[in-house]
This record gives sequence, C-alpha cells and structure tokens, in this order.
Amino acid sequence: MITWMQSMVQCRRSAARLEQYLDADPSAPLPADERQRLAAHLAVCDRCTRAAARHRLLRASLHRLGDHHRPDAASLARLQHLVHTIAADDERS
Amino acid sequence: MDIAPEVDDSARRLAFGTHVEPEVEVLLRVALSLTGHRADAEDLVQDTVIRAWRAMDGFDGRHPRAWLLTILRNTHRNTHRRQRPDTAAEPADAVGARPAFGAREHPDPQQVHADAQLSDRLERAVLALPETFRTVLLLVDVDQLTYAEAAATLGVPIGTVMSRLSRARHRVRKHLGPHPDPSSSGGSP
Repeated sequence: MITWMQSMVQCRRSAARLEQYLDADPSAPLPADERQRLAAHLAVCDRCTRAAARHRLLRASLHRLGDHHRPDAASLARLQHLVHTIAADDERS
Repeated sequence: MDIAPEVDDSARRLAFGTHVEPEVEVLLRVALSLTGHRADAEDLVQDTVIRAWRAMDGFDGRHPRAWLLTILRNTHRNTHRRQRPDTAAEPADAVGARPAFGAREHPDPQQVHADAQLSDRLERAVLALPETFRTVLLLVDVDQLTYAEAAATLGVPIGTVMSRLSRARHRVRKHLGPHPDPSSSGGSP
C-alpha cells in the first residue's frame, strides 16, 4: 500500500514536470537532480512512459505540420531583399 | 517607404545585416502565426524590419531574435489596435481561416494524401483552441521558438508560456480522441 502511494506521488510529481523535461527547452532547463529523478521514474513507470510517448508524438506531428506549411516563398524573397537593400544601402538616397 | 534617410553609418548597416537577415524567415513564420494571413504577415515583418533599422543604435547585439520578436510583437499590437479591431479572437470566429498554415508549394504527389489527413486532423484540433492557447502552441511546437522567444513575442512571462502550452497540448490531445496518433497516415516521429 505504501509502495503504491509512493508511486502515485512520484507520478504526480513527474506529470507536473514531464513536458518541461521532454521539451528540454534551453530557456527553462530543469535542475540536474530533477532531470535525473524524472529519467529514473520513466525507466520504471509504464504510465508516465506512455504519456511521454504521446507527448513526443504530438510534438513531432506539429513540427511536421510546420514543415509542410512554410511561409510564402515570394514573401520571404521580398523581405530578404528589403533587408539586404537596407543593409547594403544601395537604393536609399 | 521612408527609411530614416538621415542615417548613413556603415557599421550600423553591417550590424543590421548581420543580426536581421538570418531571422527574416523566423519572423515571417511567427508573423503568420500571429496574424493568420499571409499578406498581413508580410506587412508585419516589413514594418518590423523598418522599425528594427531605426532602433539599431539602441541594440546591444545580444539575443537578436528576441529583440526582433519584441519589435514584431509591439508592431503587431499597434497595427492590431489601429487597423484590425474586428480580428477574430475566439476559435468560433476562426473556423475556416488557416492561422499559421498557408498553401503548399510544389506538393509531392505521393505525400499529398498522407499530408492531407495529417493536416486535417491536427489543424482541426489546433483551430478548435482558444486564440490564447493556439498562438502559444503555434509559436513553440510549430514555429519551434524557445519558451523565452515565445514569451518575448507575446509579452508574457516564460511561466505563462509553459502553462498555456501545456493546456493547449492537453486540449489538442483530447480533441484528437482515443487514437491520438495524428501521424498514423503520415509516418512516425
């Protein structure tokens, strides 16, 4: 009973930080001890491992969605030309 | 367009090219996520670039992307207030629009069917989000900004970005239902 409750507590703690852990965002890194705790928990918890897999899958799918919907090439070319023109100062008077 | 004709400094131009040129594509992607319209996105980035040029003297050269995203956010906010008081604010108004997602170019015929299914399921789920959540999801998970860059773009703390992002992802997973694998027809991560 105590073991089960400890496991539930670990799952709750992990769920609260799981996305931050999996994102590994450089602007919001988890402390090393927290990363180690989460890695250890994921190694033994099927439920959290499945949640992690769902998270990775969703992120990858959304990332691919972005790949398939790139900005308009003509817009990008016009804007790059604008920046280049300003930087080169070749068309301003 | 009027681009500060009194300024003629080669170092400034060099810094502008160095810091701004590599970020144009990111700015355009983010502008699409914010406006949901290609023409508006291009206008927004154009205004942002011109403002960045004018602000170059006050820029210390650190974190140019965050600096540019902050300018873009302020430009968008000002434009939004001035010109678009009727912009859709809730998903019910946005159904049928394609925020952040524009037309494909040169689609691979073999990929079209799979892409269509992938895009349809995910886009429906994303479009169903309230704008506040949708924008964060697009910026971080589609446009690949960091939490800090998304925070700069939206003018909110990083913690707010993380909270909204988590709720947005939860809603998308819920919308996708018991079979949350939107790539079942389009490959694996």
